[in-house]
Amino acid sequence: MKIGLIAMSGVRVRTRELAELGVTLPGFVNRGKVIASLPSLGLLTVAALTPPDVEVVYREIDEVRASDALESFDLVGISSFTAQIDEAYALADRYRAAGTPVVLGGLHVSLMPDEAAAHADAIVLNGAEGAWPRLVEDFRDGRMLPRYVGLKAGVFDAPNYVQPRFDLLRGRPYNRLTVQTSRGCPLNCEFCAASIRITSGFQQKPVEWVVSELKAARGVTEHPFFELADDNTFINKRWGKELLRAMTPLGLSWFTETDISVADDDELLGLLAESGCRQILVGLESPTEDGLSGMDPHDWKRRRCGQYLKAIEKIQAKGITVNGCFILGLDSQTPDVFPQVRDFIRQSGLLEAQLTVLTPFPGTPLYHRLKSEGRLLSARYWDRCTLFDVNFRPRSMSVDELEGGLRWLFSEVYNESEFIRRQRHYMELVKARMPAAEKP
Amino acid sequence: MTTMDSKTMERVLRQLLADRLRQEVPALDLDTDLVRELGLDSLARLQLLAAVEVRCGVRIPDRQLAGLHTLRQVISVIEGLKADGGHSNKES
Repeated sequence: MKIGLIAMSGVRVRTRELAELGVTLPGFVNRGKVIASLPSLGLLTVAALTPPDVEVVYREIDEVRASDALESFDLVGISSFTAQIDEAYALADRYRAAGTPVVLGGLHVSLMPDEAAAHADAIVLNGAEGAWPRLVEDFRDGRMLPRYVGLKAGVFDAPNYVQPRFDLLRGRPYNRLTVQTSRGCPLNCEFCAASIRITSGFQQKPVEWVVSELKAARGVTEHPFFELADDNTFINKRWGKELLRAMTPLGLSWFTETDISVADDDELLGLLAESGCRQILVGLESPTEDGLSGMDPHDWKRRRCGQYLKAIEKIQAKGITVNGCFILGLDSQTPDVFPQVRDFIRQSGLLEAQLTVLTPFPGTPLYHRLKSEGRLLSARYWDRCTLFDVNFRPRSMSVDELEGGLRWLFSEVYNESEFIRRQRHYMELVKARMPAAEKP
Repeated sequence: MTTMDSKTMERVLRQLLADRLRQEVPALDLDTDLVRELGLDSLARLQLLAAVEVRCGVRIPDRQLAGLHTLRQVISVIEGLKADGGHSNKES
């Protein structure tokens, strides 16, 4: 038996003016390329959950698009985020029309199961752990069910955990490899459409398994740069330090997403630097407190906002750069937010900034709220869930103001002189912390 | 500006690169692309250039930073700065 696993990768901006800006602005293009080139960790996990006597083939959607003919499989599994889901459905429909059964899974499918079920012979909800092995056995026996519910909890417990099949990536030109260390996030921000939506609570992988995965993954490509594919890696500082001490001997360069509280702990910052952490992406979301009110149930981000500048300086002084992520279109943000974000980025010395539009991904609390308030611009806009396209009516500005402000901010932040200025700022930070022994 | 002949500069640059790669690079071709071929990440490249500035006592013009991808290019820029006597942030 041969199973084809197809990953829908890539981000495409739909708003023409932004797309045109995107092809000329270095900051945006770089990040876009990075996202587009990440392998699907979910499907590598599905591959590992597949019985060993079954042949598994991993394909990126670009490889599938390159051929007019469909590659022959006994069963096809497709995983997709929201923005690519319509192309995933179209591909699923083609395979099914050709007589090949299709299974759909992933975040979007878990949040919109009835919609997905119309394009699949079976769907998998939540994580593949606890569902996929059963599905494959049922398929072999000719009694595959239309719906399988995977685990939301205990995914890193011994009977359920498997190491992703990194070997399937051998020979492929990824510039980053991903390893997951946790699922979920205690902050539970209203807009978040990440693993928290298919996970109960906050779950962390045992450190020895993370290290084992890093070792396995680095064997498949030369000079890999790692991304810890978590929602908030260093929420638990004690576990984080244990992880970093174990990672340091590996000599890796890596990136992750976490919150600003890493700056609270000098020991953690030191370990981050020693272990090869090059950059952390931090969801700052807004440069002012009023923009952050009510974002998370505990108002944690609003209370932290006043410490952002000092925290960024402290983290970057350790040689770890901060990629600050901002969300435009939050309820209390007026058009004043655009120059405020630009000024904050300049003042903070962030090496990189990610500017995104508030996006009501289907199934999130934000989606349900905006829908109930009648503020969604259309009933179905999945291909525009790119983080750069506007899909709702903002509360404190018009749609035109949000789109125009975003274009203005892109041109202010992602231009060559600003890029060079941020690079120079980083180099001066590095020079300031250079040991005396390295100076002539 | 620190006085340094080409050979010494090359040796210093190799050492600074080795420190970042955590491995010696005595036979590395001067035209090897540090990011694309050697696997230096983009931030490590900036760290290397920062270390070069400190060690050689120069300040590389900001507009030239993005174009420096090989040791030969770095040496060429520093030699140019030495010849100009400009952009120095330290006197020898």
